Amino acid sequence: SAAAASAARSSGGGAGSGGADGAGSDGGAGGRAPATSTFWFLLHALCCLVSLFLGFRFSRLLFFLLFSTTALYSSTSSSSSSAVLRATTTTTTTTTTTTTTTNTFTLSFQANPNPPPSNLSNHTALDAAGAAGHTQSHVVVGRHGIRIRPWPHPDPVEVMRAHRIMERVQEEQRRWYGVKEPRHVLVVTPTYSRAFQALHLTGLLHSLRNVPYPLTWIVVEAGGTTNATASLLARSDLTIVHIPFPDRMPHDWADRHATENRMRLHALRVIRERKMDGVIVFADDSNVHSLELFDEVQKVQWMGAVSVGILAHTGTADQPRLSEEDKQNMPLPVQGPACNSSGHLAGWHTFNSLPFAGKTATVVGEAAPVLPRGLEWAGFVLNSRILWKEAEGKPDWVKDLDAVGENGEEIENPLILLNDPSSVEPLGNCGKKILLWWLRVEARADSKFPQGWVIEPPLDIVVPAKRTPWPETTAELSAELVDSKQDQEGRRLSRTD
Amino acid sequence: MRRWVLAIAILAAAACFFLGAQAQEVRQGHQTERISGSAGDVLEDDPVGRLKVYVYDLPSKYNKKLLKKDPRCLNHMFAAEIFMHRFLLSSAVRTFNPEEADWFYTPVYTTCDLTPSGLPLPFKSPRMMRSAIELIATNWPYWNRSEGADHFFVTPHDFGACFHYQEEKAIGRGILPLLQRATLVQTFGQKNHVCLKDGSITIPPYAPPQKMQAHLIPPDTPRSIFVYFRGLFYDTSNDPEGGYYARGARASVWENFKNNPLFDISTDHPPTYYEDMQRSVFCLCPLGWAPWSPRLVEAVVFGCIPVIIADDIVLPFADAIPWEEIGVFVAEEDVPKLDSILTSIPTDVILRKQRLLANPSMKQAMLFPQPAQAGDAFHQILNGLARKLPHGENVFLKPGERALNWTAGPVGDLKPW
Amino acid sequence: MGTAAVAAAERPKQRRSSHLWKKALLHFSLCFVMGFFTGFAPSSSSSWRAGSGGGGGVQPRHQLATSHVAVNQQVSLVPDAAAAEAAGVGNGAVVDVGDDEGGEGARRMLIVVTTTRGERRRRRGELLRLAHTLRLVRPPVVWVVVEPAADAAATAEVLRGTGVMYRHLAFRPEENFTTADAEAHAQRNAALAHVEKHRLSGVVHFADAAGVYDAHFFDEIRQIEAFGTWPVATMSAGEKKVVVEGPLCSDSKVVGWFSRDFNDGTTRAVTYNTEADLNPAGAAGTRAHTIDVSGFAFNSSILWDPERWGRPTSLPDTSQDSIKFVQEVVLEDRTKLKGIPSDCSQIMVWQYTMPMQVHAQTSTPKTHNRR
Repeated sequence: SAAAASAARSSGGGAGSGGADGAGSDGGAGGRAPATSTFWFLLHALCCLVSLFLGFRFSRLLFFLLFSTTALYSSTSSSSSSAVLRATTTTTTTTTTTTTTTNTFTLSFQANPNPPPSNLSNHTALDAAGAAGHTQSHVVVGRHGIRIRPWPHPDPVEVMRAHRIMERVQEEQRRWYGVKEPRHVLVVTPTYSRAFQALHLTGLLHSLRNVPYPLTWIVVEAGGTTNATASLLARSDLTIVHIPFPDRMPHDWADRHATENRMRLHALRVIRERKMDGVIVFADDSNVHSLELFDEVQKVQWMGAVSVGILAHTGTADQPRLSEEDKQNMPLPVQGPACNSSGHLAGWHTFNSLPFAGKTATVVGEAAPVLPRGLEWAGFVLNSRILWKEAEGKPDWVKDLDAVGENGEEIENPLILLNDPSSVEPLGNCGKKILLWWLRVEARADSKFPQGWVIEPPLDIVVPAKRTPWPETTAELSAELVDSKQDQEGRRLSRTD
Repeated sequence: MRRWVLAIAILAAAACFFLGAQAQEVRQGHQTERISGSAGDVLEDDPVGRLKVYVYDLPSKYNKKLLKKDPRCLNHMFAAEIFMHRFLLSSAVRTFNPEEADWFYTPVYTTCDLTPSGLPLPFKSPRMMRSAIELIATNWPYWNRSEGADHFFVTPHDFGACFHYQEEKAIGRGILPLLQRATLVQTFGQKNHVCLKDGSITIPPYAPPQKMQAHLIPPDTPRSIFVYFRGLFYDTSNDPEGGYYARGARASVWENFKNNPLFDISTDHPPTYYEDMQRSVFCLCPLGWAPWSPRLVEAVVFGCIPVIIADDIVLPFADAIPWEEIGVFVAEEDVPKLDSILTSIPTDVILRKQRLLANPSMKQAMLFPQPAQAGDAFHQILNGLARKLPHGENVFLKPGERALNWTAGPVGDLKPW
Repeated sequence: MGTAAVAAAERPKQRRSSHLWKKALLHFSLCFVMGFFTGFAPSSSSSWRAGSGGGGGVQPRHQLATSHVAVNQQVSLVPDAAAAEAAGVGNGAVVDVGDDEGGEGARRMLIVVTTTRGERRRRRGELLRLAHTLRLVRPPVVWVVVEPAADAAATAEVLRGTGVMYRHLAFRPEENFTTADAEAHAQRNAALAHVEKHRLSGVVHFADAAGVYDAHFFDEIRQIEAFGTWPVATMSAGEKKVVVEGPLCSDSKVVGWFSRDFNDGTTRAVTYNTEADLNPAGAAGTRAHTIDVSGFAFNSSILWDPERWGRPTSLPDTSQDSIKFVQEVVLEDRTKLKGIPSDCSQIMVWQYTMPMQVHAQTSTPKTHNRR
């Protein structure tokens, strides 16, 4: 390798100086002829060597192709021939790198042919005849050094490369095991501007961005579209349909529930109007989803149901408070389809609100637990064609969307669209698998929060630091604040500077 | 004159291109062949009808009683000797007529002698083996006919029939003289090593199939670990200085890659060990005291590309399993470059290895399931034995001819068992 | 004259060169053929081959490895040198090689630590939501999840479905914790012990599973050289309370701290005394009490290489309470503290408290970690 590399290197050098030389002799410098001819002779010899080497390589390759018969050997030849190729390219390209490269490269191979001095070598000599065509063992028995490389690591470039490999591997896994021809996913989300909106909507947005299928996110906003919501949504690269809903979100929890239902219905009408094709998933911004849900919904024919884990919480005061231990031991309440032993829909698990009994229809946050009522929309999945006026193979047990909710009655859940609710397809291992969680946490409706979550300067009270402003007790701090405020009146800082 | 240079360049480029095209062609050809067919066409051979095995009926002190004394023998990585016996007893290749047998099997559990902590001690094994051979040689005529050349023995200990766990001692001892002519079925495999004689069959170590089955996770679980390894880096109790154990390779793995987030390596054995292998791209299979370890089996079964770090290793069923195609081989001295080596493998090559590993026949060949299944390791052993048939002329001795020296070997080994 | 002479000289030269051409090509092909036949010679020439190139077909078993090494050497040389250089300055912790491959240069690693406790039932959902966010963060990211060993099996199943590169640490405490805070504190130390043992190098942040992060947040904290801090919004479920706490910044420099409740309109804030800042004695006097773990990130090398950060080696045993140590260092070394984003006005982290917990542990946000 060293020889070949140096040959290639000097041929590379020759290329440069040859050009210069050519220009010189063109000018008629006859006196330099002997030097030039020596040079040409050398170059010629080197090129001959290169040819020799190439010929040799070529024949080895042929040798392997022709004379290896078993599968193992031909497979070996494939890797060895590629190795040959790589070795050749290396020797030519190393001309641009340093000499050390070549040295290390050579060293790593020179270790092989010399059987190391050990008691093993006696045996290798004995057995060598038997292992025809194989190398001699170069493994030394005894103590070895622990090789620790001197250069630092990990090499960031390699780290990135490894991550790309893993990305490709995961992509390939999805290709092998995933849904072959995925359907479009239409996600319907009612939302409105409030303290927890940024938190919830950002969470949902991140989940949706991970969905590996084509997806359109239909966001219905109560009280009209706002810039705050729009700018939140704009941060994703999802296809988003942001629809205003004229009514404002009421404060009363029961009314709020009804309004959200009407918002969903509004979204469904839009889907029907635009004849959007796909699987409709009802995702509230406060839901947490498992990505498996989006795999499961690909299976739905007309209407499917999934199990929703209910993570309700109790209100602030006067509630039948559960001790920490009770909470831990209580099984997670689940809402969703119940199957019989033969795997058919037999009924529904609904959320039992008894442990949370009390005022359920009050203003959010005023001593009331936020609880689901009946069956949540989030537990249902629809084929959007079920909404279309005309669709191929649309079953006759489906009502027309226009016939639903006309008189302003509340639509509790999508089951109302069906004449025969037993046709619902239970998904997620027949409802045994919880694919999303209902994790409704809201602040009191009248909570104030910074617009766009940007803190506006200036802040009023600014005193020199003795400590961070959130020490153990408030009383201590306020005293300190007052004191230092008087002392340091003149040293106020505004955040604008 | 510039044309000269140009011509050379063209010549060189053409040669490179030509060679490259050749290499590429070979590669392409294999890809289709391997993927459309099966990885090892030989793996699907059915040994039934191709050989007949006679199982000697030995007193239970050579096998069943040992197991009764210590049932832990059923679970350690040397358990192949027990399961092979059980398998042969009910196998279709078994014959009760020794006259028509192609192969003779002596059911002797030489590694079923465990320390309280569960490690097998091979100190009594030579005497036990000798005792068993003496028994069959006196009670049946078939041993003396060939002096064992048509007999096979399962010797799954670290260094096979050398019966010692320290390599230097094992080499010093060499293969038990009485087994010089027999075919050895063993886990140990290293080229040109005294403890691996020609014609031996290298088998995978025993890994509990039911337990592995129970830990299977869906194949679409994203592989989010780049390199995975759990096990010792230093064997401080046996090798306080370091450098003997794994010839320093494992220590080198730790020292070079403990701080690399891509390398999920540790000495802790978590309960999710099998699951974690299934979500790794590469699984390190470095040598330990011997070149082989159960990780080879685990990696193949769990579809994790084995990174084999053991110079000159002879892999299980290497004539049937395309180890070159499914694994990555890293020389022990190249361990410090492991990250560069692994990250520079083209992604297509990695994906292809994974596709091959997904082939069920490859996984099957690594396991000793109960009951046996077509294509499993038992069948591969039989296939290996069948491929050695018919027996050559030198197998059977002329009347009166003797090849074995019954008094060779350390004095301690000659004592009765 | 000049032109004529040149023209005359040109012609014979051409003839001569075409002659040379033929001769040279003949030689080359002869050599090629010679080489070709040498290749067929028995493998006694193996030693020469081994010394001369890729090892040919001598060692099939090592082909793959060796060939890769060969390829690699060219690749690794350059970054190695750069890395070595960087190591001289920054001990390899902060190696920014720049855009090496397709504009995807090396990014600093993020080490996101999540401790789990409290309501087991919420955990699955919360971890999934955080995992979805982390999945969107460009690599390299390592997610360290610590939790009591008893709960680990169920969580392992959740984690492995996410596709995030994670380390799952089962935590077996020696003591029983009286408060959730004490447990979280011990878990964080367990995570840092892992980071320290493995010398993982990157930006460490403690992310609460119940928190929600803006996706850009992680790109921001990746810029941290030493320490970084930012405002955090904490909301209370079922109450009228939105509190933002965080640093007061001026041009990425932290000049103080504030805490503002948007509903009762109160703001508490302090700024550093700049004169005291310049005076070491004064600086020592202004030692702050604590900093909320949800509000800062730090370069992990402080854990195992404090000297590099200009800190004495004879520190109190950091292995015992690393998190406390880091919290103190962050507040003391505020010149190295970077405000995020540059004017610290944009909130990118939201967390909430549940009323249940509010009652159980006074009225402090649950992620607060006090001495």
